Amino acid sequence: MASASDVRAILSLPANTPGPSQPRKSTATASRKPEGISRELYSLIGDSAPTLVAQYARPKFKPKLDLGKSRARWTWRTFANPGRSDSLKLAHWTKGALDEKDSVSEYAKYNTPSQVYTYSQDDYVKFLQDDEWSKEETDYLFSLAREYDLRFLVMADRYDFPGGRPRNIEDLKSRYYGVCRRLIRNRPWAGDEASKNQVLASYGFDAEQERNRKAYLTGLFDRTPEQIAEEEQLYVEIKRLELNEKRYAKERDDLLRTFAGVESGLPGLQANWDISTGVPIDKKRKKRVEGDMTLDSPIGGPSSSMLPPKRRDIGKQSASDVQHCIVRFDAPLTSVSSKSSTPAHLRSTRIPLPKTHLAPKTTTILAELGVSASRLVMPTRANIERLENLQTAAASLIEMKKNVDRVEQEIRVLQAQSMRASEVPSAVGGTIGGEDEDAARVSAGPSSGGVLKLLDKRARKRSMSMSSNGTSTGTRGNNKRTRRD
Amino acid sequence: MTYGGDEVSALVVDIGTSTTRAGYAGDDTPRTVFSTTYGYTEQVVQDPNSGAEGKQAKLHVGDHVAEWRPGMHTANPMREGLIHDFTAIPSIISHAIIHNMQCNPPDHPILVTEPPWNTAENRKRMAEIIFEEFKAPAFYISNTAVLSSFASGKGTSLVIDVGKGMASVTPISDGFVLRKGMSYSPLPPHVHYTADRILTQPTNNPPNPRPGISLVPHQLIASKRPVEPSRLPMVTLREDRIQQTTDSWRQWALDREVDEWLAACGAIIETGWSDHAASARPPRHYEFPTGYNLLFGSERLIPGEMYFKPPAQANPNLPHAKTLTDLISHTMANVEPDLRPALLGNVVLTGGGTMMQGMSDRINNELQKQFPAQKIRIHAPGNPTERKYAGWLGGSVLASLGTFHQLWISAEEWQEHGNAIVMQRCK
Repeated sequence: MASASDVRAILSLPANTPGPSQPRKSTATASRKPEGISRELYSLIGDSAPTLVAQYARPKFKPKLDLGKSRARWTWRTFANPGRSDSLKLAHWTKGALDEKDSVSEYAKYNTPSQVYTYSQDDYVKFLQDDEWSKEETDYLFSLAREYDLRFLVMADRYDFPGGRPRNIEDLKSRYYGVCRRLIRNRPWAGDEASKNQVLASYGFDAEQERNRKAYLTGLFDRTPEQIAEEEQLYVEIKRLELNEKRYAKERDDLLRTFAGVESGLPGLQANWDISTGVPIDKKRKKRVEGDMTLDSPIGGPSSSMLPPKRRDIGKQSASDVQHCIVRFDAPLTSVSSKSSTPAHLRSTRIPLPKTHLAPKTTTILAELGVSASRLVMPTRANIERLENLQTAAASLIEMKKNVDRVEQEIRVLQAQSMRASEVPSAVGGTIGGEDEDAARVSAGPSSGGVLKLLDKRARKRSMSMSSNGTSTGTRGNNKRTRRD
Repeated sequence: MTYGGDEVSALVVDIGTSTTRAGYAGDDTPRTVFSTTYGYTEQVVQDPNSGAEGKQAKLHVGDHVAEWRPGMHTANPMREGLIHDFTAIPSIISHAIIHNMQCNPPDHPILVTEPPWNTAENRKRMAEIIFEEFKAPAFYISNTAVLSSFASGKGTSLVIDVGKGMASVTPISDGFVLRKGMSYSPLPPHVHYTADRILTQPTNNPPNPRPGISLVPHQLIASKRPVEPSRLPMVTLREDRIQQTTDSWRQWALDREVDEWLAACGAIIETGWSDHAASARPPRHYEFPTGYNLLFGSERLIPGEMYFKPPAQANPNLPHAKTLTDLISHTMANVEPDLRPALLGNVVLTGGGTMMQGMSDRINNELQKQFPAQKIRIHAPGNPTERKYAGWLGGSVLASLGTFHQLWISAEEWQEHGNAIVMQRCK
């Protein structure tokens, strides 16, 4: 049955012009449907969703066990060991085919002989003669050294030279190292003198010192429990004394810091002070240091706190000051007492305050002058100095005024008295009494202010205590008020 | 290469007084463990040529000794830890290697152990047996003390080995026995003897006065009925067997009963003997094969104490034996002072005798008492196999090392140099 295309071919019509009745050829021939996307979906979206296709991954399953191909082949194979002088062939399982040649033990490379010095007959005659040791015995010693790789403990244990005297480990070491030293000294040396001396030093052995050391060691080993307990006790005692010593030194340093400040010359002054409280903050550290001290070993070196404090290197300091534009002032800036050293602070926090009993009057004077005492806009060093001067001046002015007032008052009283005396000449006693009274008054003059002050204080206290009887808010308010005063 | 092992399918044979252990090098447990004591029966054989009748001993090696046979004698080739009688040794080795492990000896290098006090003659005989009777390609003989040290991963150690026949203290430095410091004594037979006396002698002690216990091995018991504790056993013996039981077999069986009682009930007071501590210990219940059962109080602690204190009543037939305490102090006095701290820091306990409850703590206490200023550390594996067969285990480690290959004595070397090579190679 001929298809439409056959008819077209017969009629020699062009094939590429499909008629309307013919179904459209799918474009799949042009661009194949990619793997992993269903036919329906592809006909809907066509080529336009490449990302979808790209993201889709065919699920991969675990590869099947590949038996037979990658199987390791193990063979029972004989091997030679170059460390052996005979032809013994041991066998072991190895990976690889059987037809390969005999392998060599990979452990042969660990067969390293120890380097023991050897000497010839000539060497011996020339350098190594010794009254204590015969040539035969020396030979025996060196053969033992080779046999046991210089393990002197074992050599001394196995040492059995027929007809020889008993030798201990020191004798053996002494002879062996002595022979080595002599050989090094007398043989031509390839390197320089320093290296020769170094090698010589490494072969040094002092039998006498070694014997002494061993005697001490034995003594240490043979201690009785009582001796050990005593030692322990002494050790604890020493530790305690040491701790005490350290504590005293530390306390002394603290006191010095507190009283002498920077002048004490003790390090770590500023870092250890808290600005807000002015209290040393290194308590924790101190505790830890003490803990360390109890833990450290008896033979441990002296800890750093035991070292004498270093004085500050003033020359070095001034140089670094110049370099870093640091200006230092000798005198304390403010009225704050220089008893304790001052930590770093903002100058504005240290604006000088007037003396409390003069404060209200000082403030009034300053207010009259148009200066706010509580708030300094620019608390530079100069300004604060000025403010302080001003306050001192104001205070002295007030003081002066007080004195002047008092003197004037006294003058007035005296004038009144002298007037009265001139009007009515009184009895002697009366005069005396009057004078007494005056004298008393005069003498009481300066202190009267104090009494007044006391009274004043008492009154204030009373008011405070009264208010403290009231509600807490009242107390707080009162406190505030007093503080503002 | 990571662990240095290179196995050449070597076999390790460790013949002890009590048991013989054998297995492959590289294993962590011996493949076969059997009693060294063997049984033999005498057979009448006819010479096929002359027709003359002669007697020949038939050996029953291994655990066959526990099977009762009419007229079977027992023998143990060991005496004081050494092989005393070599006649049965080939049979024992062949029982281990050929019969039990099904190995062909010419295919395997064989490592054999020896006690530290072994003689040159014994070494020579052993080499002869291995090379000439078993045709092994290579042979090595190594020290049980060194091997026990290796089994615990130490090159330098103080090995305290309490076996069935001997107790020994051996200082090891870098894998070499320091012979001058080595000390050993036939102590365990004394302990055994004490235990035997405790069981078989009647006592009038207040807690449980009892007649002496008649020990009967289970092979000679036909039937028994359960009885209350401390009541006489109700047992029917196999009279037919008793007639044909040899003295040596009976002795072997009785010794085994005592050993089993000692293993089950024996203990050591860790802090040293005091009557108060002994009476504070809880009693232990034990039932003998006859069904006779009993609570054993402080008497069960007496044999163990013998390891540390000389007995009040020693067996006159046994040679004098130093206690473990004496052995240790003798050893420590004869080693270099430089080595002492290293030894005391690496004490290795091995042997079945150290399995007794409280032994390691007691040794620790004794050491601390003797050397108060020293730091003492005891290595006592909790695994019974590792503790009892440490010698075998060390041999297994040693023979499976790649660097050990060059130490084997080959048959060729043996042919060439004879015994000298054994003495030279096995230091």
